[in-house]
Amino acid sequence: MNETVKLGLILFLITAISAGILAISNEATSIRIAEAERLADQAAKQETLPNGKTFEEMDEKLEEAIIRDNPNITEIYEGYDGDELVGYTFKMNVNGYGGDIEFMAGISTEGKIMGIKVLNHAETPGLGANSTKPYFTESFRNKPVDQEVVAEREPAGENEVQAITSATMTTDAIVEGVNTAREVYNSTLLQ
Amino acid sequence: MDIFTILISTMFVNNFVLARFLGICPFLGVSNKIETATGMSIAVTFVVTLSSVITYIIQVAILDTLGLEFLQTIVFILVIAALVQFVEMVMKKTSPTLYEALGVYLPLITTNCVVLGVAILNIQEGYNLIETIFNSVGASIGFGIALILISGLREQFEILDIPEALEGFPITLITAGLMSIAFLGFSGLV
Amino acid sequence: MRLSKVFYDGLIKENPIFVQLIGMCSVLAVTTSVVNGLGMGLAVTGVLVGSNVVISLFRKVIPDKIRIPAFIVVIATFVTIIEMFMKAYTRDLYNALGIFIPLIVVNCIILARAEAFASQNGVVASAVDGLGMGLGYTVALLILGALREVLGAGTLFDIQLFGPSFEPALIFIMPPGAFILLGILIGVFNHILKKKSKADA
Repeated sequence: MNETVKLGLILFLITAISAGILAISNEATSIRIAEAERLADQAAKQETLPNGKTFEEMDEKLEEAIIRDNPNITEIYEGYDGDELVGYTFKMNVNGYGGDIEFMAGISTEGKIMGIKVLNHAETPGLGANSTKPYFTESFRNKPVDQEVVAEREPAGENEVQAITSATMTTDAIVEGVNTAREVYNSTLLQ
Repeated sequence: MDIFTILISTMFVNNFVLARFLGICPFLGVSNKIETATGMSIAVTFVVTLSSVITYIIQVAILDTLGLEFLQTIVFILVIAALVQFVEMVMKKTSPTLYEALGVYLPLITTNCVVLGVAILNIQEGYNLIETIFNSVGASIGFGIALILISGLREQFEILDIPEALEGFPITLITAGLMSIAFLGFSGLV
Repeated sequence: MRLSKVFYDGLIKENPIFVQLIGMCSVLAVTTSVVNGLGMGLAVTGVLVGSNVVISLFRKVIPDKIRIPAFIVVIATFVTIIEMFMKAYTRDLYNALGIFIPLIVVNCIILARAEAFASQNGVVASAVDGLGMGLGYTVALLILGALREVLGAGTLFDIQLFGPSFEPALIFIMPPGAFILLGILIGVFNHILKKKSKADA
């Protein structure tokens, strides 16, 4: 047999065995990965809308229309406690300092921002990356939706949240995103 | 994202060596002389661009359609290894001088994380074919800029009085750190 | 060959980072915190031990001419398996390390150990070599990660170390700090090793 063909066959065999092993471990982990993703998503919704027990994707046509007008929003879910609609969670993509920031914001039917959670970001560690810290995210809690949210170094007013030191672009991006969610709630979802 | 933004971002703001830490091995290993650094940069640009296009097509045409995304790493690295071998053969025949200068380091391109890194990032960022090409070119030029700049500085080290313990790699790393501070000035540009 | 010597060589005498100076990319990139450094170190150790064992097992079967591509396939397989399990069980760590997990494939340490050690030695010795080198790598990541986290963020394992008046030097958590600190660390390691070898002689 030709030497090159033989070597090629051996290498092919090794690769085929590896691919087989990977297929098996993919099979073994894929369910768990999907489950972990679902749990992370569920936990984020629970955190941003604590009074919601179950979450359902909102009416598809309305969601599509909202996303067309507000391309920063990627997903809206309705939160229920039993049969009662208690609020909405907005998944959003905004442009921060180091790239896209993905975060979730929850608004209750009582007209309050219930919480925000940063899911993915590429912000500078120690600066913009502090957007994941509670001192920032917690400051959004219970802000009224009928007033524009603004970030201040020392928040005092009812509509003021904590600005992140030396990370104006990150703060502004998220605050703007929250305001978008707020406007959508006021204009379309509030009945 | 428009193409110009991608170029500026990969060359300066997110420079592959100084901000993203890809390709550190050749950055330290082949940066003694400006001449070899230039040759290496050209070879890397060629390999990165070619391999990105090929891996992109394989990803879209084969892996995604067959649902074999989990084979990405293994397929990409094999494509890159074969490609480097091919480039080495061609270079040996057409330019023996360049081959002599880069001979030892050419096989090292396989394990240069810029090549695999760019190929994977193109897919992760969801670029199309055109964006993939520009991202690859920008990344390699960014790699080249860092490599040639540091080799220029390292040529000066010979006439400097450097503490014994810091000679060689340590002082090169510290210099790279200072360059990286300079490159921080680009951030926020895009 | 004594196994303890193989282990010691990997951990200290031929430490991949401080002495051999290979596999730097991930060291610089993921050490923004101790936890990330530790996670990366353990992932690399896992791949290193696994690929060393498999390559040592099949070292007589794999033809010499195609050994490098064969090694790469074995390494890539282990990396992908580790990546899948990290994605499934340690999601936050997986997100934090990002692209540097698949890039373990091109971490020079792993191919270097396959070529220089596993392809010439028995299974047990190769496993110990992988463990020693992997831990040597992990220790380097831990030291750098701890220094960067303490200096750059004022925390360790995410626990605040100093009072609120402490202003962390952010530069250390950003890319330049990684280069500069690693340069200084290697310098210090050089200095100690030189002193020791002088004292031995």
